[in-house]
Amino acid sequence: MTISRRHLTVGAAAAAVLLLGACTGGSSDDGGKDAAAGYDPSAAVTINWWTGQTSEAETVAEKLGNEYHALHPNVTVKTSPGAPTTDDLLTKLSAGFAGGSYPDISYAFGSWAGDLGASGKTQDLTSYVADPSFGWNEMPAAARAVATPADKVIGVPALVDNLALIYNKKLFDAAGLDYPTDSWSWDDFRAAAKKLTNTATNTYGTAYSVSGSEDTTWHLWPLLWQHGGKILDGTKPAFNSDAGVAALETLRAMAVDDKSMYLDQTDEKYGPLFNSGHVGMMLSGPWSLLDLKGAKLSYGVVNLPGFNGDHQTVSGPDLWVLFNHDDVNRAGASRDFIKWLTSAQTDAKWNLAVGNLPLRSTEKDTPEFAAYVKEYPGGDKFFANLANAKQARPTLPGYEEMSRNVGDAIAKVLQGAATPKQALDDAAKKSADALEN
Amino acid sequence: MSITFAATPRSVPATPPRTRGRRGRAARRTLTGWGFAAPATLIVVGLSIFPAVWAFFISRTKWNGIAPAVDVGWRNYQRIAEDPDAVAAAQHTLVLTLIFVPASILLGMLIAVALNQRIRLIGFYRTCIFVPYVASAAATGILASFVFNPQFGAANEVLRRLGIPTQQFLESPKEALFVIVLIALWGEIGFTAVVYLAALQDIPQELVEAAVVDGASRLRVFLHITLPELRPVTVFTAIWQTITAMQLFDLIFTTTRGGPLNSTQTVVYYIYELAFQTQRLGYGAAVAYLLFAVTMLLTVGVIWYSRRTGSEAF
Repeated sequence: MTISRRHLTVGAAAAAVLLLGACTGGSSDDGGKDAAAGYDPSAAVTINWWTGQTSEAETVAEKLGNEYHALHPNVTVKTSPGAPTTDDLLTKLSAGFAGGSYPDISYAFGSWAGDLGASGKTQDLTSYVADPSFGWNEMPAAARAVATPADKVIGVPALVDNLALIYNKKLFDAAGLDYPTDSWSWDDFRAAAKKLTNTATNTYGTAYSVSGSEDTTWHLWPLLWQHGGKILDGTKPAFNSDAGVAALETLRAMAVDDKSMYLDQTDEKYGPLFNSGHVGMMLSGPWSLLDLKGAKLSYGVVNLPGFNGDHQTVSGPDLWVLFNHDDVNRAGASRDFIKWLTSAQTDAKWNLAVGNLPLRSTEKDTPEFAAYVKEYPGGDKFFANLANAKQARPTLPGYEEMSRNVGDAIAKVLQGAATPKQALDDAAKKSADALEN
Repeated sequence: MSITFAATPRSVPATPPRTRGRRGRAARRTLTGWGFAAPATLIVVGLSIFPAVWAFFISRTKWNGIAPAVDVGWRNYQRIAEDPDAVAAAQHTLVLTLIFVPASILLGMLIAVALNQRIRLIGFYRTCIFVPYVASAAATGILASFVFNPQFGAANEVLRRLGIPTQQFLESPKEALFVIVLIALWGEIGFTAVVYLAALQDIPQELVEAAVVDGASRLRVFLHITLPELRPVTVFTAIWQTITAMQLFDLIFTTTRGGPLNSTQTVVYYIYELAFQTQRLGYGAAVAYLLFAVTMLLTVGVIWYSRRTGSEAF
């Protein structure tokens, strides 16, 4: 009895080891062959589409999926959110890779692009989007760069946005200040923030998230770029340069010296505080417009403040990533579907309808865009500001970890627990290992 | 969850050695036994043992869940010692445990003694103490973050009325961890109180009566009868609460998310952040394994000590 039991245990352990080896392995070769080579556009296929959307947007997506099926009866689009929240999609995808049941098309945050590109499960669309009929260059350059990790196009931009300065007109009027302009410098911004701050009414000039997440980090990048700095030099952190220190010092002066900056320990409080009139100016994106509309606030949108006349901003594009299932017809059909979905005509029914910026410059003259601007004042400013998104966030694997370290550094500095130089140097040192292998 | 305590050594009913039946019957009995145990065994092996073993293999790789895993040997484990965030997380967990465990035992015992009195509405009081334990820690956390909100919370309102300077509570790196301990205590006290209450009621009345007849004061009865009788339960609550403190996650997630400035980032929260926020599954698994080893050592240590000193909690 004892002997047989021991045998059983050893056997089970051995089986487990074999299985585990298979689980963490995974292949990464695409053999250089095009995933859709020899695709037959009339073949009957079913493609799985994970939208990453909830409620209303998901309903619109399902309608578009059915519309495509009506136009191409041989292609069935199975539309689903894929995961309860967009954040959970990555976990679902990684589980799907392990189990071999990933979708043909999935929504993905831009920051995942590097990791997804390295998975070996994505299609290479480089030559497909190069075809003039695709109109690849109508999409913002920063978004195209994010879709191209390691020089390989793995997807198509699904959503574009950028940061601009949103201000509360009522608070400016009450303080007797002129409204911000497109040519404001950071000194103008700081001076106004200081004047808007009033401890008696719990009013702050501006706000900043110190949760240490990507929301904390990416608000710093435009300042870094405006000072002439770079996030990375190859695969080495370069944000701790003099430019990075100067950028962070700009924020530190407001948070620590002037105390004109509300420091949000979560990412979720400063938006509602701005909407309720407790924050005079916030650096935010077009996604805020929906809440602003709900709050019935009188607001304006202008370029980010600049340094030496450079007003560049940062863009956080999201993607439709296309996966390879070693089935040329599925690969080809998903490409054609995405081409249709992101075409100027369909995108107007998708992004503009759910309150996002249009993907393509050619949508500017559509009636849908006019309706969007009417519904969301300032939307046109955000659209114009896409031209100021001159540089892309890095997409290499390890960016997430580096972002976390930089976020922690910013949080420390803004709460007066470290100097910019020291905090950024520490973050760079901690990130070096994650980025290099 | 069924817990049995052997407070006083009881005599084990002597079972006469059974005469062995025929081999066929023995085999059938074994099969029947396995028939009962197999479904549960499968679930335990499939959902606990297998992932645990798999996690060990993951802990020896660099893997983000998406790109193929790269074998790195023991490097993840070596990195833990050099990682200031891991060391800080360990310190936070240690502080949390060192305050939480003794406090929950002492307070639980105190409340149990109070609830062991024969007074009116005692059932109501007992229920009141136990309710926070039944509420999920997530709900407790959300509720507490309202109470301790520095601008609009009830806690600061009370301090203001009393003329004491208002505090930042969960938004201050210095205070947040202690506020978390306070909230955790509020939620967990009910558990220790109920366990002690059951143990108090298990103490043979004759012992207490004998001591009273011998002229012992109430304090001496408590010190020399009650406390020694509660010892096995205390071993159990100490281990249980230590595990609770070391695995505290939902409360931190719903209140501070490890902030401000990572001051409430415990080991478990750090593992979550590593594995599921920044996709460092290999390194996260290594830290998880270290936590497992420490918890295991602590538990074995306490059990060994309690066995040696003669009380049997497990």
